[in-house]
Amino acid sequence: MSIDKTQELVLNMGPQHPSMHGLFRMVVHLEGETVTHIDPKLGYLHRGMEKLAESRTYSQFIPYTDRLDYLASPHNNWAYVQAVEKLMGVEIPERAEYLRIIFGELARIASHQVCIASTALDMAGWSAWSYAFRDRERICDMYEMTAGSRLTVNIMRIGGMSAEPPEEFWPALQSFLDDTPEMLEEYYGIFFGNEIAMGRLKNVGILTKEMAENLSITGPVLRASGVDFDVRKAEPYSIYDRFDFKVPVRTGCDSYDRTIIRMDEIVESIKIIKQAVRDIPGGPIMAKVPKVIKPPVGEVYHRVENPKGELGFYIVSDGTTKPSRLRIRPATFINLQMLPIVAKGWKIQDVVAIFATLDAVLGEVDK
Amino acid sequence: MENKKLSRYVDELAARVNGVVEESLGVLVLKVQAPYIIEVLRGAKEFPFVPCDFLHDLCGVDCGDHFEVVYQLSSLHGPQLLRVKAIVDRENPVIDSATHVWEGANYLEREAYDMFGIKFKGHPNLKRIYMWDDFEGYPLRKDYVTEPIEVRNIVRTRIEGE
Amino acid sequence: METLKYLMETLNNLFLIIAEFIRGLFADPHSVWANLTMNVINFIIVVIIVVLAALILILLERKVAGWTSQRPGPNRLGPRGWFQTIADALKLMGKEDVTPAGADKFIFKIAPMIIFCLPMMTLAVIPYGRGMAPIDIDLGIFYFVAISSISTLCFLMAGWGSNNKYSLLGGMRAVAQMISYEIPLLFSLLGVVMITQSFNLGVIVEAQDTIPFIVLQPIAFVIFMIAGLAELNRAPFDLVEADQEVVAGPFTEYTGLRWGLFFLGEYGNMTAMSALAATVFLGGWQGPGFLPGYVWFFMKVGVMIFIMMWVRWTFPRIRIDHLMHLAWKVLLPLSIVNILLTGLGIYIYRFVMGG
Repeated sequence: MSIDKTQELVLNMGPQHPSMHGLFRMVVHLEGETVTHIDPKLGYLHRGMEKLAESRTYSQFIPYTDRLDYLASPHNNWAYVQAVEKLMGVEIPERAEYLRIIFGELARIASHQVCIASTALDMAGWSAWSYAFRDRERICDMYEMTAGSRLTVNIMRIGGMSAEPPEEFWPALQSFLDDTPEMLEEYYGIFFGNEIAMGRLKNVGILTKEMAENLSITGPVLRASGVDFDVRKAEPYSIYDRFDFKVPVRTGCDSYDRTIIRMDEIVESIKIIKQAVRDIPGGPIMAKVPKVIKPPVGEVYHRVENPKGELGFYIVSDGTTKPSRLRIRPATFINLQMLPIVAKGWKIQDVVAIFATLDAVLGEVDK
Repeated sequence: MENKKLSRYVDELAARVNGVVEESLGVLVLKVQAPYIIEVLRGAKEFPFVPCDFLHDLCGVDCGDHFEVVYQLSSLHGPQLLRVKAIVDRENPVIDSATHVWEGANYLEREAYDMFGIKFKGHPNLKRIYMWDDFEGYPLRKDYVTEPIEVRNIVRTRIEGE
Repeated sequence: METLKYLMETLNNLFLIIAEFIRGLFADPHSVWANLTMNVINFIIVVIIVVLAALILILLERKVAGWTSQRPGPNRLGPRGWFQTIADALKLMGKEDVTPAGADKFIFKIAPMIIFCLPMMTLAVIPYGRGMAPIDIDLGIFYFVAISSISTLCFLMAGWGSNNKYSLLGGMRAVAQMISYEIPLLFSLLGVVMITQSFNLGVIVEAQDTIPFIVLQPIAFVIFMIAGLAELNRAPFDLVEADQEVVAGPFTEYTGLRWGLFFLGEYGNMTAMSALAATVFLGGWQGPGFLPGYVWFFMKVGVMIFIMMWVRWTFPRIRIDHLMHLAWKVLLPLSIVNILLTGLGIYIYRFVMGG
């Protein structure tokens, strides 16, 4: 037996592994510490959302959308509810639109904070993790004040919002907005500015612009590869055309930019919320919609900018109270396609870091 | 404006492939037979001025007597949207894979295969993605019978050595 | 004034007086039996230091972790959570001892025992106060480094014996990392040895009565800190037991007390390394006379341990190729330069002093 040949090691990471966010599993082929091939295996959290939707009425399906990307549940509600409204031709009150914007952008901040935290944690930056989670807690509190739950908020209805925020919501929101610049500085100081973190993330896992377009990548991952595209600007849904904000774009194409672009997005979200709080009108929060939701025969495709990418709902209605086909376009499911391509040739530690920068939530990936 | 321009190109393309153009809530829908799909996708990708060069989504739909594979095309350089529907035979659901046009179709086609049993010719790795490999049936087909709750509640007996 | 000075002197030599008293119980205070008894007592004291250090440090680590990440840390058990470690230890004792089916049973079982022995062996040569080294040997530093490098072998044994791929990866990382960092660690200590002309830790401490060597050898101290952290597998160099990549490295398959032994070993080694740093660079038991020497010594050890914990909870983990790069291309040349500079300094000093 010759000993000058090394054997390939097949390592099964997940579904129960500390750094596989949720129930992701990948079979990693290793040459020493270097990754030669990755085979992602999905479906450990598959609940058959699309099949479930076919036996639920339109309103009954709203709580299910919370369980898609459970870190930004208002966004999922929003995408679904707007798709149905588009199909039915419902106009919703101004105040409800503004409240949706506020909650949507709060969800974006919360989701990005979790992304920053988990990226830090996947590289053993324990303190950065708890800093980001500490600040996200305040958003959860605001959810709780309004909707009663902290994670799966279920705050939107077809035709408006489920609840008016209580009085103590507004001061809490204001103090949160005031504290955000300081928070971001803290994250930068403890994690992104760190020499080791930069060494781990910079120039690692390059996803070029062409690759990103070819692989149907969306969201912050796409924008970190230098593509200036955001549905909020390109095809403004809701009332995003009334707000003044920038779409942060970075051209590093690497893990570092994929993570730090989320800090830039938090800054822009803060701007949007500030404008929304300034301009919000009074009035009702629910439109007059029939008790039984019965959209006309037809089909609709609606996409929104989820914190993790573009979330789309394709609804085919046959005129009954239940959708004939409901298709969810999960952003991270499609973004995940880049992992085997990008991570090849890097060390096993980089694979963990690259996976973290994709910010995959398995509730959305597995549906 | 954009839609008008797009509509002209889509009409031209439809004429080439015997497609039908419809409009649904402001989005152009192009319905074609399955064998023409690659030609349509390539054509849409190369529309001048309004290229639909980004595969946004791909999914199967069960229409009763036939399947449809629905491609949601968009672009990163403009707001244009185009929905392409390929009609696939129910008895023998085979269609060309779009992975050669967009690599991003990989998982989406695997999902459509998993849920509808639509076979994508030329796909590099056409395996089930959500369900386990020896799962029987295609769950999102309308004729798929979900087991009643009584059956589901029976605890599965554990096979020795499993 | 006289009485105060006398009291201080007594307090300073308290343990030596007790030792003399025990020896005095024998007919011949320097007989074989007296020596044997003293050695057994010394051994028991070192074991107590190791176990006590682990008990305190585990709680301290969790409190420091809480402090750096702005949360209370353990606070339920006893006053301010002080009994948390005791409860944890009891829990570990009650756990089932599992040996994986495919494990190499002998190696698997012996690895935690060896790693637990190492800190006891290394802590035995540390001078805790004037004349208070349990074993006073001339090659103190040499012995210390030699013994502590055995832990590499334990990690490899645990990694290989567990028959687990994560463990194996962790074990291999341990070998690569610890062997690489051994060299700068040893070289950084050489500067001090050159100045004192002795490997004996007691002599080194005596030589620091005017100025601690951290002032004369700042580069060596920094190198020692970095290499020491890497030797101990502490963050940011904890690649061996990196949860996020290799689950728990060599410890993945260990349960109950065996795992607890690894933990004790880790904290014991940490104490030992901090004690060495305090002895060689911070002046050991030397300090202003208002406190006994051993109190000074343990305070210095405490500061070193606190710095290690602080670093662990704030820094992300380094990547393996950066780790090797740091060892071979930065620390090693730097330590050699330090030795050259030290030699030059000694030469100039002698020349000026008219040697």
